[in-house]
Amino acid sequence: MTGRRLGVAVVTGRSMEPALHEGDRVLVLWRGRPRVGRMSVVRLPPSEKGPRPISVKRVTRPSPGEPGAWWVERDNPAEGIDSWHVGGIPESDVLGRVLVRLPGFTRRVWRA
Amino acid sequence: MPRVLAPTVLISAHCDLPCGVYDPAQARLEAESVKACMTKVADNDDPDFKARALAIKEERSDLVKHHLWVLWTDYFKPPHFEKYPNLNELFNEATKLAGGGGTKASWDPKVADKLLGKIDEIAEIFWETKKAA
Repeated sequence: MTGRRLGVAVVTGRSMEPALHEGDRVLVLWRGRPRVGRMSVVRLPPSEKGPRPISVKRVTRPSPGEPGAWWVERDNPAEGIDSWHVGGIPESDVLGRVLVRLPGFTRRVWRA
Repeated sequence: MPRVLAPTVLISAHCDLPCGVYDPAQARLEAESVKACMTKVADNDDPDFKARALAIKEERSDLVKHHLWVLWTDYFKPPHFEKYPNLNELFNEATKLAGGGGTKASWDPKVADKLLGKIDEIAEIFWETKKAA
């Protein structure tokens, strides 16, 4: 990997509504440490059907009873996978911190 | 010119399942997290975490009921209830198990397991009707 730590990520899905909507662009600090109350980009453990995509979730606390892991939650009360399904996320799977949503950059997401 | 930014990536705020499609897996997923609330709290005595788990358990028990009601009232049609005479009773039992007499009132994962069992029975019938359609 290069040393470039700042990047843009495009949001798909609805689990972080109302903070983030599908098509929103956010600025990510890759390898940025999680902060409680802020959003991070995380790798969720695979489901029975295979790997899950890289996700954005809100870090709510250090994972209880799992040193070094973080508890992440969905913002949308009605939709999405979070630590209440999959447990704490190991530090190595917390890939970066969301710094800010880029206002005015929301576009439709095209998927194959 | 050197690139300043790392490559842009897609990040998902996803829910494992396609939206707007009938699928008993939605109820199952929320029921699994109701069960996780019970098991996570069992080996943890942080009062804040317990309070949060209680709130999530209430909220997601309601979601289980919601997803089941959608199947009960919108997906299943009169001929299904004729063909599967226990279907109404299954929904009655399952939604009660997700209510005040079930997972909302209890911290016992066995109650959640019972609920998951009922959802699985409904799912079995659901997929039979899908095959027949």
